[in-house]
Amino acid sequence: MTPILEARDFTFGYDGVAVVAGDKLTMEPGQVLGIAGPNGSGKSTLFRGLLGLIPAMTGTVVCNTPAIGYVPQKEVLDELYPFSAVEVVEMGGYGSLLGWRRLTREQKDRAHACLERVQLPEVAKKAYSSLSGGQRQRVLLARALMVKPKLMMLDEPTSGVDAKAARVIMDLILRLAEEENLAVGIVSHRLQDLQRAANVGVWVDEGRAHVGAAGILEQGERRAYGRVESQGDA
Amino acid sequence: MDFSLILELFGLSIAAALIAGFVVPWIGSYLYLRRTSFYGLALPQLAATGVACGFAVMPWWVDHVGIGDLELAAALEDTHAAMNYHLGWASLFTMGGLAVMLLIGRRSGSEVAHVAGAFVIASACTVLFAHASPMGEIFVHELLRGEILAVGVHELETLAAVLGLSFIVLLWLQNDFILVSYDRETAQVLGKRVGAFEAGLALIVAASVAAGTMTVGPVVLFGLLVLPPIAARPFARSIPHFLWLASGFGLLGTALGIWASFQWDLPLGPCVVLACALSTLPGWIATLVRK
Repeated sequence: MTPILEARDFTFGYDGVAVVAGDKLTMEPGQVLGIAGPNGSGKSTLFRGLLGLIPAMTGTVVCNTPAIGYVPQKEVLDELYPFSAVEVVEMGGYGSLLGWRRLTREQKDRAHACLERVQLPEVAKKAYSSLSGGQRQRVLLARALMVKPKLMMLDEPTSGVDAKAARVIMDLILRLAEEENLAVGIVSHRLQDLQRAANVGVWVDEGRAHVGAAGILEQGERRAYGRVESQGDA
Repeated sequence: MDFSLILELFGLSIAAALIAGFVVPWIGSYLYLRRTSFYGLALPQLAATGVACGFAVMPWWVDHVGIGDLELAAALEDTHAAMNYHLGWASLFTMGGLAVMLLIGRRSGSEVAHVAGAFVIASACTVLFAHASPMGEIFVHELLRGEILAVGVHELETLAAVLGLSFIVLLWLQNDFILVSYDRETAQVLGKRVGAFEAGLALIVAASVAAGTMTVGPVVLFGLLVLPPIAARPFARSIPHFLWLASGFGLLGTALGIWASFQWDLPLGPCVVLACALSTLPGWIATLVRK
């Protein structure tokens, strides 16, 4: 099977300083890749590198689809913009628009259909800024679906929401991944969410990305906690 | 007050004010949404500094570079040549200042402080440059005071061309400018040339501010860039609604300011700004009531 995304012998960083490196990482249809690691380990840099937001300092990153659904952290989007929920979703269709062109009726209908897929048709006309954290996250998921993605990348999709909302969001991601046969990449600091969803894990620690089965996330965390505790004892 | 006589005498100035009143708030809305309204203060001041600098170096420029083969006295009298000359200086200072503020301010992580610093330095330089040229001192004083009653045909044409073109481009690429402003990373993932759009937006702001400052002065520019978007935001239900509302408030404030200026014989610029300030009251009241 041709991978959707393949990175080999990669190093990502900023201003010439390497932050995270790894040997081989592939993402295939139907696969959910969970990325985790201690604070400052380089997991966000890895995520941004895989998405193409920063160039690889060494190695190669090949993405075999232009249809990438990106879900940023909801906190980075400014509430000052007077968007309704459906307008945020419609933005996912802007990639195919050039210049003066506006969304077609079909694309607008699709935006409403995407909101229904994330079980939020009733908020379409509501101000995006008035929605709860969990609802905003689902609206951003709907926006990513507007792209008709083959690859979906999510940055901390359950941060800042309660456990119940986090569960709803992760169930939704899993269902969409299965139904659409998507390759999904999730970076999160909530390990229990990742462990439930991921079938491939990437544990990032001390600037190194370790790829393995989902169990690698738990092992990595145990090692990291053990290290912290032994440093505390010393 | 005979309005037909006023239109006959000051029709060009009123037309310039109304064009600025409609288009400048549209541009200011982008500054507001990007939380960079403070650029709306610094940039017109930089444009005024450019004009003052142009006056200060004019004798040297006429001797060594030339302004359409005119002598100094003739260059000062020729409104067409003088406008083009000063527009060049205003554009140079606005675009140069904007580039420096973006490069230094963003990299150092203290963008607001650097913009404030640029405003103070530009204000001081305006006074000093104007002091170096008696003709410049009068012109700059009138510009800063907001006297916009001496607009000529060429100035109106230049303002209409620059603001008209800016408006068309902003309308044409509205989705892209909004997406890049709202969610830069998603725009990048969707294949948009984020750097090109941001540079384009900066160029539109700088060109409009330079042309606007030359014609209606920095005080009116400050007011029209900053106040109508504040007035519009509490009532806006979508981005197009917000942009049109801001322009509507700007046009209304300008018309009200023009009327007040002639009614009570007051400088036009400050009247326009205060009328725009009045238009923010309904929004404040609405916000208070909602809370």
